[in-house]
Amino acid sequence: MDRLIKIISQSIRAVRAFKLRTFFCLVSVALGIASITVIVAATEGAYKKAFEIVARFGPDSLLILGGGEQARAAGERPKTITLDGVEAVKEAFRTAYLVVPMSTMRDVTVSHKDRKYQTRITGSTSDYSRAWTWPVIQGSDFTEEDVKGLRNVGLIGQYTAKELFGNEDPVGKYVLVKGIPVQIVGVLSERGTSPAGEPLDDRIVIPISTLMKKLQNETKYVAGFRIRFLDHENLYSYVEELRSFIRKRHGLPPEEPDDFTIVSPKEITKFLVALTGSLVVFLGVTGIISLIVAGFVLANLFLLSVKERTAEIGIRRATGAKKRDILIQFLGESVVLTTIGGFVGFLLALSSSKLLMLIAEFPIHFSWKAFFMGLLLSWVIGIGFGLQPAKRAADLKPIEAIRG
Amino acid sequence: MPLCLLEKVKKTYRMGDLSVEALKGINLRIEKGEFVAIMGTSGSGKTTLMNIIGCLDVLTSGRYVFADREVSSLSDDELSVIRNEHIGFVFQNFYLLPYATALENVLLPTLYVEKRRDNAEKHAVDLLRLVGLEERAKFRPNQLSGGEQQRVAIARALINNPELLLADEPTGQLDSKTAVEIMSLFVKMNEQEKTVVVVTHNPNIASFAKRIIQIKDGVIFE
Repeated sequence: MDRLIKIISQSIRAVRAFKLRTFFCLVSVALGIASITVIVAATEGAYKKAFEIVARFGPDSLLILGGGEQARAAGERPKTITLDGVEAVKEAFRTAYLVVPMSTMRDVTVSHKDRKYQTRITGSTSDYSRAWTWPVIQGSDFTEEDVKGLRNVGLIGQYTAKELFGNEDPVGKYVLVKGIPVQIVGVLSERGTSPAGEPLDDRIVIPISTLMKKLQNETKYVAGFRIRFLDHENLYSYVEELRSFIRKRHGLPPEEPDDFTIVSPKEITKFLVALTGSLVVFLGVTGIISLIVAGFVLANLFLLSVKERTAEIGIRRATGAKKRDILIQFLGESVVLTTIGGFVGFLLALSSSKLLMLIAEFPIHFSWKAFFMGLLLSWVIGIGFGLQPAKRAADLKPIEAIRG
Repeated sequence: MPLCLLEKVKKTYRMGDLSVEALKGINLRIEKGEFVAIMGTSGSGKTTLMNIIGCLDVLTSGRYVFADREVSSLSDDELSVIRNEHIGFVFQNFYLLPYATALENVLLPTLYVEKRRDNAEKHAVDLLRLVGLEERAKFRPNQLSGGEQQRVAIARALINNPELLLADEPTGQLDSKTAVEIMSLFVKMNEQEKTVVVVTHNPNIASFAKRIIQIKDGVIFE
């Protein structure tokens, strides 16, 4: 042990002595480690964000929207789901504690006094806030009576409230929606953006009955509904049951694709991971290439160094160093170097990811895991690429080394 | 028992298809406390002989007994231990570590000692005083003259208290005045009961020894 410490201290001496070699190895290793660390952190960030969004979406929840995947991908929102259908689902699925229909109108011009603003009007029942776990923080929710009575009341999102009311309290005030005065009874809490990047706080929520009758002139169809189950561990079997239930109700023959879409937490995760995936692949390839380059830079500089220091190896061997001592010293030099490179790389990753988050709003999460991953990789590089030069140094015969 | 006993030692180098017989059956006895000079021209086999005596190289055939141990049967690691504990080397080119101080250079052989030693640093300072370089302990080799570097190398050779001091052209890089100073140091060491073997081509240097061995074409004459 004492001997090992003495020999490693020799490694540190050499790392300090051969500054140019140290500099080049350090730079290349640090760059490689930095990009790998960013990848680990980005992956972790993406998963963390996915979990947050799933938690917010509700792990017990499904969202059913009109139109099949193809139609939705093409940007169409065909209406295939009826209020009766939603009612039928409620009857059929006893473990669903919430079945909440909703409809949406986009880009509706609303105004308060002389302020005008375009927003999204969502129609739903009095369970809207519960269905999305989205609390009303000012005023109160609208009620079942409001829905039954087609009353002109509504909840307002944080963003819309700011646009229309500035710093005023919107509760009790009126907003003109397509000429109809709607009284704001409550303000929704701040929600941020959807996984696709849409601002969620830009909306006014009114009773679905009011929306259909007074704004859409619609009696039958809704955009979709949200359903939450008591036993969320069975969520994915419900997805299948729900699918066949709706298909049957819509009278779809087996060869016909679904004319509706079921959004589950799993799909949201998939979407987010795919979004992150492209960047991870890009950074991953760059990272691995730069690490391999770093390894070769290291190996070559060390081979050169072994050649240059033949006399040193010779005198060490002559004064009693065993092959193993020389091997450990040179391996020590490369591991000490790459370890420092790992630390520098981690700092580099920290600062460069700040930049990345600024320009790309990319979720990056640094943890001990990312740090240790980088450290471990730096050791792999240090040992993997340092071994060959160290072996060459150790295998030099003392007399050849002395001859110089 | 003699310190070194060589019997019919042969050393053959192979270079591709060519094999060169550097030592052609050497018989040599060196007793403890002797001061021996091995003289020869370049290519005579004197360096090969020194490498064998110093356990830096293994012989092709014959027998070598050093300090009661059959060297020809030892492993690479065991040879390292023998060099570390029993032999101090001094080379023509000094071979000091350029990035280490004089003191650190003197301490080099203590790195490879099997057992822990506490007073190594004090011993190193004593040795630097012995060779007259106490106040240069913190100097790097490039801040020292050739003669001073060789004194550091001698101190390094002595740090583990070896029985045998082995020097290969120790004054080859030095002017004649400095050469005499260095040789006087070897004489002093020999007076303190170290066995000293100096390999040289220079008769003036060899004259410091008590016994001179001539080597030519791999065979010795006395």
